[in-house]
Amino acid sequence: MLELRGFGCGYGLVQAVEGLDLVVRGGEITALLGPNGAGKTSTIMAIAGHVETHAGTIEFLGEDITRLAPAERTRRGIALAPEGRRIFPDLTVAENLLVGGYTHAAAEAARAEESVLTLFPRLRERLRQHAGSLSGGEQQMLAIGRALMARPKLLMVDELSLGLMPAMVDLCFKALLELKRQGIGVLLVEQNTKRALAAADRVVVLVSGRTAYAADGEQARRDPDMVESFLGLKEMT
Amino acid sequence: MYYVELLLVGLIWGCTYAMMALGLTLVYGLLRILHVAQATVFTLGAYIGLLAANHTGSLAAAFVTGALAAGALGPLIYRLVYQPILDRPPFVALVASIGVLVAMEDGFRLLFGPYGLSFENNVWFTTTYSFAGMTVNLVQVWMVVAAVLLLSAFAVFATRTRAGVAWRATVSDPAMAESFGISVTGVRYVNFLIASVLAGVAGVLVGLLNNLVEPGMGGVIAYKGLAIIVLGGLGSVPGTLAASLVLGVVESYGTVFLDKLLDRDAIAFLFLIVVLMIRPHGLLGAR
Repeated sequence: MLELRGFGCGYGLVQAVEGLDLVVRGGEITALLGPNGAGKTSTIMAIAGHVETHAGTIEFLGEDITRLAPAERTRRGIALAPEGRRIFPDLTVAENLLVGGYTHAAAEAARAEESVLTLFPRLRERLRQHAGSLSGGEQQMLAIGRALMARPKLLMVDELSLGLMPAMVDLCFKALLELKRQGIGVLLVEQNTKRALAAADRVVVLVSGRTAYAADGEQARRDPDMVESFLGLKEMT
Repeated sequence: MYYVELLLVGLIWGCTYAMMALGLTLVYGLLRILHVAQATVFTLGAYIGLLAANHTGSLAAAFVTGALAAGALGPLIYRLVYQPILDRPPFVALVASIGVLVAMEDGFRLLFGPYGLSFENNVWFTTTYSFAGMTVNLVQVWMVVAAVLLLSAFAVFATRTRAGVAWRATVSDPAMAESFGISVTGVRYVNFLIASVLAGVAGVLVGLLNNLVEPGMGGVIAYKGLAIIVLGGLGSVPGTLAASLVLGVVESYGTVFLDKLLDRDAIAFLFLIVVLMIRPHGLLGAR
């Protein structure tokens, strides 16, 4: 569904990521792991079109989308729950969802909202509340829900569990598995390695912008120490 | 009773300030530009409204044409002046904005003469209503009615329509809003359109109340508008509305109690300085 080949991205002259190959298939979760500053967020933001791609190609559903504007990528089925969640705090939960489904006609958006509220019943109770007044976990649900309003084929989530209570992390991972079951491809950036490994179908570890380890989920679960050792690299360098 | 009347007059002016200042807040909230050239939009509204009123004798025609002319000029200023320099630091846009104001003021002078124009038959100013020992004229009544109607319409737009929600999302996080398919450029035009229509109607009303429309009439109210949006805590709509009404009332009492020391327009800035010393983030400012 999504394929990066020889992908490199960065900000101006600063190269954040180089030579990355990465695949996400429909109905699978690809976990992108690595220490802070490894380039995970840059990669996700480049796939969404917010960061410039310097090298290689991004292919989505068989088409090259490397140069498309962010909104066009959303229209084609790429959705993002970004780092820091970036929900609209002054808008209500319902209004945040409305913005998420902005490209769809009212009837389609209503169907999307219904499925989001089925996935996250907590949001249904908070529809009229300002998004800024939600708890961290609820905000993450809203960020994912807002992304799902566009009826994507690929969902990218940056730091799913960061700052969330364990019960909330459970709920969010449960939701990801449900989306996977529905055939949606998921690209997950996560600092909680244990959780990510448990859910992932593919694992890629980035260190300083380069691929340090890549394997399918099965294999990565067999040598978790290997994965962990790469994540520890930051402290050594 | 005298003090109640001062309060009333202050609130009436406050309504007019609100129509002017809300536009400044909208532009600042979206683009971080201090839109001083709003004054020229206000003045154009006043001129066109006056010409229409003198031509047709109809107040409705004055409002509609003044609003239309202003509503065309504001987005035009955005397109021709601000859009090309959006990636520059905000003070560049501020300087450009002052340039537009100065140039347009001379444009009005060339076009309509240096001494200003008066309404030929300003029946709205001479029509008065008395109640509870107070007297107001029809223009003052309209100042309140227009502000309440237009600001309510704005509130409905912002909270009850898809376009309004998209506009608020864009103010909050333009890059995210755009990625969901919202046209940020479209939002900016709508923003300038709303700001300019409000300013144009305010221009017509102030022209009627002074029975004079002159090239520099926008200057003082625009600078006062800047004082108001700072008082309201930059970018805050409720803060702007509150600060407008408070400033109207403070000026109204100030002209009576401080008239030996300061003129009306100086009071706004004295008030601004005092408030910022006590509350650096404005009257309703959060932090």
